[in-house]
Amino acid sequence: MSILGAVNFPPIGEVLNWKPFFLGGSALAFNKVTLTAVLATAITFILFYTAGKKKALVPTGVQNVVEAGVDFITNSIVLDIMGPDGLVWLPYLCGLFFFILINNLFEVIPVFQMPATARMGVTLPLAITVWVTFIVVGIKKQGFASYFKHSVVPSGVPGALLILLVPLEILSTFFVRPFALAIRLFGNMLAGHLLLITFAALSEAMFAKSISLVLLPLPFAMLTVLTGYEIFVSALQAFIFTILTAVYIGESMAGSH
Amino acid sequence: MVSILLAASQSSNPILPASGEIIWSVLSFFVLMAILAKVAFPPISKMLKDRSEKIRGDIEAAERARNEAELDRAKAEAQLAEARHESTRLIDEARKTAEVIKADLVKRAEGEVAEMRQRAEEALEAERQRLVFELRGDIADLALELAEKILQSQLDRSSFDPLIASFLAESEASSK
Repeated sequence: MSILGAVNFPPIGEVLNWKPFFLGGSALAFNKVTLTAVLATAITFILFYTAGKKKALVPTGVQNVVEAGVDFITNSIVLDIMGPDGLVWLPYLCGLFFFILINNLFEVIPVFQMPATARMGVTLPLAITVWVTFIVVGIKKQGFASYFKHSVVPSGVPGALLILLVPLEILSTFFVRPFALAIRLFGNMLAGHLLLITFAALSEAMFAKSISLVLLPLPFAMLTVLTGYEIFVSALQAFIFTILTAVYIGESMAGSH
Repeated sequence: MVSILLAASQSSNPILPASGEIIWSVLSFFVLMAILAKVAFPPISKMLKDRSEKIRGDIEAAERARNEAELDRAKAEAQLAEARHESTRLIDEARKTAEVIKADLVKRAEGEVAEMRQRAEEALEAERQRLVFELRGDIADLALELAEKILQSQLDRSSFDPLIASFLAESEASSK
């Protein structure tokens, strides 16, 4: 009880709402989260720019990392899900994947230790971008009426069931999709962030109580394991967001329900 | 609109998005997309495409080289088989020719030997004839000398020559 009493767990508002560095009080308040988003943009650009400049026949270093990522997205996402027609979306999907991945990885980078994607302010705009994209692609490829008909009217379903299914389809395709995308990424990264904070706070409390030093390895080992696990989750969530984006755009391009 | 954003930026609920975070993340993402599409991605895309084409070209070239090597090997094997066949034929031919030459040489040598033997026999016969002739003369001389000693008188050689010759001819005939 005395150990638990020593745990200095910060309030939720303190670990999520960051004080602005500048433009505080305005709509453009610039804080730690916006800094990581801007840095993720810069890092993604630098990675791609450096890789594109090297042009070595046998890739090494940054070029190897970027090429492996692009190759993975090309083969495992674009070609598998969208087919060769989807290759026009490769730059968009690569940008999306790397932007989310780097934002996620800030969760385990010392000093930052906060993924921008653990904030709805970052994941929701990304999901809305995807939502707008797949609707626009569907309308452009199939025409307005045809796209909405294919999207909300399942083929081969008896007329009576349509009364039930059409509202569900409208809800699932046009309302649930963007929120599911945003909340999945936000929830996973927020949960990871809170887990790391929990074990870090626990380790700190153990360390502060010298008598409990024998117990220190347990939460610290857990913190280390979870840090590794969060790196994996960062890549996995970036992959899930990208693959779902590819699925939605691919469906809009193909016109199938 | 601004008042809504300001309200959001000051939201006390930690789950709700703050306006600054929305604006900066949207701005960041769109700037990233724009520079990726225009500046950073095309070189990588081109590089990957060029490499794929180069690898495809190299594989095709290697396949062509392999096929050519296969053809060359088949050709070389055919030539080797032909050369083996030709060498066997040449050896057989050489053996036959050698046998013909050998037979011819043997035949010629045998002819030469027979000729030499004949010549030797002829020479021997001639020598024998000469010796017989000389012996006859000597015998005639001895007989005549003996007869002169017996008779104590000089005999005319020319008158006895036919008699001696006839005697020797008879004795020769009787000895055969």
